[in-house]
Amino acid sequence: MADNRQQQVDGGKVGAVMVVGAGIGGMQAALDLANAGFRVTLVEETTAIGGRMAQLDKTFPTNDCSMCTISPKLIEVGKHLNIDVVTGAEVTAVEGEPGSFRVKVLKHPRYVDLDKCNACGDCLEKCPVELPSEFDQDTMARKAIFKRYPQAIPGGMAISKLARPPCVMTCPAHVNCQGYVALIGQGRFAEAYALIRERNPFPAACGRICHHPCEGECNRRELDEAVAVNPLKRFAADWIAARRAQGEDPAPPPVGEIDPAKPRVAVIGGGPAGLTAARNLALKGYPVTLFEAHEKLGGTMLLGVPGYRLPDEALQRDVADVLASGFEVKTGTVLGRDFTLEGLKQQGFEAAFLAIGSTRPVPLARSTDGSPLKGADLDGVLLGLDFLRDVKLGRGPEFQGKVVVIGGGNVAIDVAMSARRQGAGQVEIVCLESRDEMPAHAWEIADAVEENVSINPSWGVREIVGSGGKVSRVALQRCTSVFDADGRFAPQFDGDFSETGADTVIIAVGQRSDFSFLADDDPLWDDQKRSVPADPLTLQTSAGWVFAGGDMVTGPASVVEAVAHGHEAAESIDRYLRGEDLTAGRRKPETAPAPKPERWFPLAGRAAPSRLAPAKREGYAEIEQTLSEEQAVAEGRRCLACGLCSECMECVKACSADAILHDMLPEETTYEAGAVLLAPGFEPFDPAARGEYSYGVSKNVVTSLQFERVLSASGPYQGHVRRPSDHAEPKRIAWIQCVGSRDRQCGNDYCSGVCCMYAIKEAIMAVDHVPGLEATIFYNDIRAFGKGFESYYESAKKQYGVRFRRGLISAVKERQQTGNLVLTYVTESGHSTEEEFDLVVLSVGLRPSASATRLAGELAVGLDEFGFCRTEALAPNRTSKDGFYVAGSFAAPMDIPETVMTASAAAAMAGEALHEARGTRVREKTYPPERDVTGEEPRVGVFVCRCGTNIARVVGVSDVVEYARSLPHVAHVEENLYTCSTDTQRKIIDTILEHRLNRVVVASCTPRTHEPLFQETLREAGLNKHLFEMANIRDQCSWVHFSHPHEATFKAKDLVRMAVARAATLLPLGDVRVAVDQRAIVLGAGLAGMTAALSLADQGFETALVEREPEPGGIARHIHRTLSGADVQSHLAGLIGRVNEHPLIRLYTAAVLEEFSGHVGKFRAAVRRDGRTLEIGGGAVVVATGGEPYQPSEYGYGQSEAVVTQLELEQKLQEPGFAAGLREVVMIQCVGSREEEHPYCSRVCCQEAVKNALAIKETNPDARVFVLFRDVRTYGFDELHYQRAREAGVMFIRFEPDEKPQVTLGGDVRVRVMDDVLGRPVELRPDLVVLSAAVRPHPAAPAVSQALKVPLTADGFFLEAHMKLRPLDFATEGIFLAGLAHAPKSMAESISQAKGAAARAATILSKPFMDRSGIVSEVDQEHCAGCLTCVRLCPYDVPQINEEGVAYIEPASCQGCGLCASVCPRKAIATRHYRDEQLISKIDVLFGEPWFETAGEGVAGAGGEG
Amino acid sequence: MVEVSYYPGCSLHGTAAEYDESIRAVCQALDVVLAELPDWNCCGASSAHFLDDDLAVRLSARNLLLAERQGLDLLIPCAACFQRLKHADRQLRASPGRFADQPYDGRAPIYHVNDFFQRPELLQRIEEKVRRRLTGLAGVPYYGCLSQRPPKVTGAARCENPEAMDDLMRAIGMEVRPWTYKTDCCGGSLAVARTDLVRKLSGDLFAAAQEAGAECIVTDCPMCQANLDMRQTEIEAERGVRYGLPVFYVTELMALALGDGRTARWWKKHFLDPSPLLESKGLL
Repeated sequence: MADNRQQQVDGGKVGAVMVVGAGIGGMQAALDLANAGFRVTLVEETTAIGGRMAQLDKTFPTNDCSMCTISPKLIEVGKHLNIDVVTGAEVTAVEGEPGSFRVKVLKHPRYVDLDKCNACGDCLEKCPVELPSEFDQDTMARKAIFKRYPQAIPGGMAISKLARPPCVMTCPAHVNCQGYVALIGQGRFAEAYALIRERNPFPAACGRICHHPCEGECNRRELDEAVAVNPLKRFAADWIAARRAQGEDPAPPPVGEIDPAKPRVAVIGGGPAGLTAARNLALKGYPVTLFEAHEKLGGTMLLGVPGYRLPDEALQRDVADVLASGFEVKTGTVLGRDFTLEGLKQQGFEAAFLAIGSTRPVPLARSTDGSPLKGADLDGVLLGLDFLRDVKLGRGPEFQGKVVVIGGGNVAIDVAMSARRQGAGQVEIVCLESRDEMPAHAWEIADAVEENVSINPSWGVREIVGSGGKVSRVALQRCTSVFDADGRFAPQFDGDFSETGADTVIIAVGQRSDFSFLADDDPLWDDQKRSVPADPLTLQTSAGWVFAGGDMVTGPASVVEAVAHGHEAAESIDRYLRGEDLTAGRRKPETAPAPKPERWFPLAGRAAPSRLAPAKREGYAEIEQTLSEEQAVAEGRRCLACGLCSECMECVKACSADAILHDMLPEETTYEAGAVLLAPGFEPFDPAARGEYSYGVSKNVVTSLQFERVLSASGPYQGHVRRPSDHAEPKRIAWIQCVGSRDRQCGNDYCSGVCCMYAIKEAIMAVDHVPGLEATIFYNDIRAFGKGFESYYESAKKQYGVRFRRGLISAVKERQQTGNLVLTYVTESGHSTEEEFDLVVLSVGLRPSASATRLAGELAVGLDEFGFCRTEALAPNRTSKDGFYVAGSFAAPMDIPETVMTASAAAAMAGEALHEARGTRVREKTYPPERDVTGEEPRVGVFVCRCGTNIARVVGVSDVVEYARSLPHVAHVEENLYTCSTDTQRKIIDTILEHRLNRVVVASCTPRTHEPLFQETLREAGLNKHLFEMANIRDQCSWVHFSHPHEATFKAKDLVRMAVARAATLLPLGDVRVAVDQRAIVLGAGLAGMTAALSLADQGFETALVEREPEPGGIARHIHRTLSGADVQSHLAGLIGRVNEHPLIRLYTAAVLEEFSGHVGKFRAAVRRDGRTLEIGGGAVVVATGGEPYQPSEYGYGQSEAVVTQLELEQKLQEPGFAAGLREVVMIQCVGSREEEHPYCSRVCCQEAVKNALAIKETNPDARVFVLFRDVRTYGFDELHYQRAREAGVMFIRFEPDEKPQVTLGGDVRVRVMDDVLGRPVELRPDLVVLSAAVRPHPAAPAVSQALKVPLTADGFFLEAHMKLRPLDFATEGIFLAGLAHAPKSMAESISQAKGAAARAATILSKPFMDRSGIVSEVDQEHCAGCLTCVRLCPYDVPQINEEGVAYIEPASCQGCGLCASVCPRKAIATRHYRDEQLISKIDVLFGEPWFETAGEGVAGAGGEG
Repeated sequence: MVEVSYYPGCSLHGTAAEYDESIRAVCQALDVVLAELPDWNCCGASSAHFLDDDLAVRLSARNLLLAERQGLDLLIPCAACFQRLKHADRQLRASPGRFADQPYDGRAPIYHVNDFFQRPELLQRIEEKVRRRLTGLAGVPYYGCLSQRPPKVTGAARCENPEAMDDLMRAIGMEVRPWTYKTDCCGGSLAVARTDLVRKLSGDLFAAAQEAGAECIVTDCPMCQANLDMRQTEIEAERGVRYGLPVFYVTELMALALGDGRTARWWKKHFLDPSPLLESKGLL
């Protein structure tokens, strides 16, 4: 691939454009620019292009599937050589000058390598985190790793990730709480267990006794209660134990591969810290020996925790898993007694980890008066830890009578509860602290109280009193405070004394480590601190090779903190032994945990494990029980997924392509661009701001965009119409219009322009889906002003029975039991009525997106009062900033075709600014010369794709491969993990060369997305791209038949056999190269024609401008101002001046088109002028032949001077004093529009009326002005002028079409109209009646239509190629459309269209020649009978009967659709690449015919063996 | 400690004494000091503002000036007083010289009960100090109109769907039932003139609350409380249905959850005794 970087041309302009926003507008602009020779960077905020249009179900007014329409564009953009798509990115700054900007783009990490990801979807199944799908407007869930929508481009996955969640950040061992909770929520308990075990080797033990700080930080507490993170851990551990008890092991413990050559490590202490370190080091391959003083492993977990909290059996399960890692254990070996550190060193241990815990109980030494405590040595006085240890080892004492426990910590509680189990009749806890200050956890105190342990707080022990050498009572003194002001232990006592009887006293006031193995002068020992100091980060001691951790460093702490130390010690020792820096990268910067997600969650109480009732607690039976499976799953689903992705790494495990990069970082890139085009789109209005509609409160109130997803086949209900609350099929749906539009209260005064139509479409689609459904639309005015809209509206009423009710709904009330919604409205008879609906759809308006506002702020692009991009009335795509252009709904609310038009217009403006630099930045691909395969035997290479496991999981891929080998002509077969991956592409090229393959078959996914890619590969290997065939064994086999793998494999073989058969018949096809006449022809020199001609000329193309009239200017000559006040005449004068002066424009006035011929790239027009015929040539044509004003015959027009049209009134208003002389004016709307014969809306008349009414009111406020209307259609920002007119006192009176106003002339003019609101007729006596007359097609349109062979609509306007996405194109390539010739429209819209048409034309004119697909139809002239069948049928009017009387199909014009070939009665027409024999070969082999014997003639080398 | 100016208004010294007492109890528990405005006067609601807007504004303005002298935030539990003082605040700011002969800065925010206690620091304090969560008690929050509308006077951010009281109810462990009648009119201002309309409007609220699965209605407006509590039996008789929905001040339930011992005497002031409901939930 050659980067064609020429020197910058004159003025230093850069031949590249930055397009911001990749919705339909951004995509169209990018394509127009890239196809006209500019390099485009297309920056998109989300992870895929497509924008809002991709979210829609159908489009109005043609009911085309939105996705089907946009999908080819997505692919075209995605594969375009000169469009660089940058997703997940935002523009942060722009520097430089117009013509040469430097644009900074911040690309957020996607966490997936797009070059590697094949979008197979294996990861999707494994990801446990469900998040609301933005694309589906929260109507359904997606995974944390996701593809925005199935057809998304780029096709690769992305991961949503925020900061780490608070649970994980708080956990000392950083156990991935969110991850395992999510896995449990998905019922994937084994994976959950394995994930816990990575960071916490004691899931069963910790699941019971951890103090779970995670739950204390859980964001869910803000909502209701913390997620039961710890009970879930226990659940996972116990679930695994149950499986193992049945002989299964879904999560076998990891086993280390011990390398005896590695340095030996000693771990001293078999508690949580030591075991964790030993396991981690063993898993790294170190030979580890662990020394434990006791006979059993577990440390405090074993000896310090009573069995009713942690049964020994549970702990030993964990220990067994740890031991499986493969280290040596020496129990009963005491440091200092049986071995020394020095001795270890001599034995060859190169590192040691000391983790001896704090197992020595501290005796109570002092009385409350400070003297040594008396009675501590009496018989019956025990130490807490010793007692607990003895109980655990089965040698606990049996009690009788009363036990007094001294101490307020957790150990004291454990002692008290154990004492009860050892037979004590009465147990009392005495402690210094007040009840609130007791250090024991509240839940443990509650446990003890539940078992009738009495708590006696705020007492100090004065003396333990005995009788006969045995304890009898404890003397107490009231403790008034425990700690001093600095928080130091300094108990204060007052004169309050007491005592309590005791048969046994157990002292549980503290514990410490046993450092007796160290001499006082040992360098490890810090005598002052009375401890072994260790570096807090690395745990390294002063001895260097010795590391220390756990309780012996921290003092008595929790198990999970000891585990954390175990991890750190293992890490340090590994680094130490490898001679690495111990600290590098370990000091993590403080980052804030992820906050609670800002969205709505249903409240749900926390799962409570069942507990053994106190009466049933026999012996040391466990009190708390494990959660049930149902409880656990439900609890797992309570997690809010604060961090979004939980980093559980399941996707990494699932991905065979190694595409997932969890540590990807943001990237900033600077792009050069000559111009910047803003198309960031809109955001739907959030109806939560209009609380009266109960959105967010009632589930069955949805937004219109949500309803689009409901309707969509890929939506939450697979295209069935359902409502959210109960998934029932609604029978009554109401649409409420103008939610967030035409609404001053929420600050959106403007009309969003599109809602009426999309609501009508949604209603039609809903009725279509649910027969009998009652659809009701509550509206203010139905604004069906676009092309074909009015008849769509009519069909909704008549064909689909959609009810339309005028009126604003003031509130939506929910019936809580049914979820139905009650709307109150005023009926036509004037009564207030209530009606119940099953579902309410809010037709939400459009507003600029928050990111667009931010962007505009960054770039200093001016915004209007609503936050839309500010533009001028007659320069609709120019922003306030030079070199920046705007397209689509960021400029104003607009629908899809308008967006496409403005996008092309903005592209034209960028093209005008940068035309000198055209072609300087484009990339062109060069290929090796094509190998001539004529005459060669077919040698087919077959590549069968596994698509990760996407195909292979269902289809027996190896089977298919073996089968393919047996097929005729097959020279090579192989199986690929991903056939589309970059390395496989390279391999295919090598294979083609090595095996001299001359046909290639890929059996994988869909040709829709992948055929171009493989065809590229063929070209790179020197093969013609048409020697390729695909078999779709993914969509057609593994996806649709996933539950029938055997049959799916069978079908895959069929498909491969068919593909091979056709491949053998394929022929190389050359593209058709057409020379382009790089000049343009524009027909019509009105506002649109002149604008188009100027744009073309400014883009550097010679342009002929042909006008029928003697003067240029068209209808605009009669218009003086726009509604917003722009001066039309001076704009027009400026245009005419520039047209006359422009060196590249030739204007032919009074010139009539006589003849027209040619094809794209080479048209010829014969024009008659001054009695002579001129020939004009050009590669592209713009039809801008305009329209004309209707001359009314109704309402007495022409019979009286008192009846005029709006255009005439506008003319009169130019006369000074005219307005001042008016007393009363009545304007009548829809004259000649919205009627049976002319059903279309003329779109501009409402604005005309408002404009002229305001003009009258401004000079003559006393004049009464009435506007008699059917719907006021002041869409977009014109709504503000309608508002202004009402404020100025213009009276608007609505009439029904069957009760039109009556105008009586003669003497006084009278107008009688039935006022809809008053319900009675009103009689007006105006001195002027003004008719808002329709816009009609130009009378010359039929002639132009015939000459150019381009079609007209039933209304007589020109018909574009596609109503939505090709509004400026004709089906005939190379001919474009703009202005009133297309349909009635405003001047701004005409200007935009004209520029847009110029941009479309530039995509052809910018190249000296164009390559057109070789897949065209050709006529066998000998067989052709000249019957005209093909001529009549061709949708593009290509076939012609030539001089010899037979059909001729111009290859440059043919679209290759194949219709002619299929209808030709004599089979004289064949479409290349789809010849009969090429298709029949497939059918033959499908049904077992020996196709290779019957293969038709003309097939290169298709003979050969059977 | 938080100190706040307190304007009880006439209701809280009369029909809504339990509202006043419960606010004081809650404030005590939360370490909030109420500094009752010295020599406060009528806010001008009902009589004055129907007859003479100027007088009504002046009456409230005097209270505002008193509050400004105290220099604290101002808490106004009665929704009508709240709205009148907010209105006066707007008028004073717009035309300072017209209603008072002394300067008015209007620095102090004016709070209604739900917004006041929903301030994050107080909400947190409530959660910390709750002694007895009212778990299992299901209610609907009923804000009425005066504390919310019109939003340009009250400053309510979401006057159609306020959530402050929902948060308070949740903080004390109540179950907040979703319903769409939070701010629908109870008919309070027609309490004397058109009792037929009051019965219709209040009756619709009872029906909706019952349908929503509520066991009680929770409000912070003395007019709404009085209106709903007083009319319920009458409405039940007229409609031939039984609602049996106690109408609480939110502060009464907050005091209950905060462990205040004086709640029992408030229940006696209700027309519909809430004790049986609270007993059935084990909350008495």
